[in-house]
Amino acid sequence: MHRYETIFVVNPDLSDDETQNVIQKFTGIISATGGVQLKLEDWGRRRLAYKIDKFNQGYYVLVDFAGMPAGLMELERNLKIDDRIIRYLSVKTGVNVNVEALQQELAAKAKPVEEKPETAPTAAGEEEAAPAAASSEPEPVTTPEE
Amino acid sequence: MAIIPKRKRRPTFHRRKVCRFCVDSKLVIDHKDVNTLRNFITERGKIIPRRISGNCARHQRKITTAIKRARHLALMPYTASMIQG
Repeated sequence: MHRYETIFVVNPDLSDDETQNVIQKFTGIISATGGVQLKLEDWGRRRLAYKIDKFNQGYYVLVDFAGMPAGLMELERNLKIDDRIIRYLSVKTGVNVNVEALQQELAAKAKPVEEKPETAPTAAGEEEAAPAAASSEPEPVTTPEE
Repeated sequence: MAIIPKRKRRPTFHRRKVCRFCVDSKLVIDHKDVNTLRNFITERGKIIPRRISGNCARHQRKITTAIKRARHLALMPYTASMIQG
């Protein structure tokens, strides 16, 4: 299992319900192909640095997950087909990761934040995460042509 | 008739720039971190060369790929004119 990070940009004109449907569709694909979702970040509508398909804004979603290469290929194939996705980028952030260890780490990281919000985000905790993702060197999996 | 003294060329002072990512290992180069990457582009959106930014080769390479990824996701501009465009 490798660790991947996919960011995709959804059409900003969709209603909130539809946007959530799109996100669920793609997180569903990850789990359907045997992947484990580690983190889902919803960045919301952001201004694009340049127009894409006449859109000035985009709804950004980041998914951090562990999965097989075939799962990523399936995810990207669907991202490419779906008209509601205007851009996407996947990056490999870890090779041969241990999913349970990662999940525990994320849970451990989340807990102290709740207890001590002032001192919690220590640099030490973040550095623990990096070596676990064996090679922290992110290498591009695909850079889709637009 | 004043003799104009030949002006001596003053030795140009170069302050050796240090790669800020080598100095502080906590800094991570990430294509999602647009605010950091913004320090390494010009107003026109061009990537600042190593001799000016002072990065080491390794980190400049990482910066470059990160900027290019951010551009693809429209987090950063390719050119300035595209902002108005």
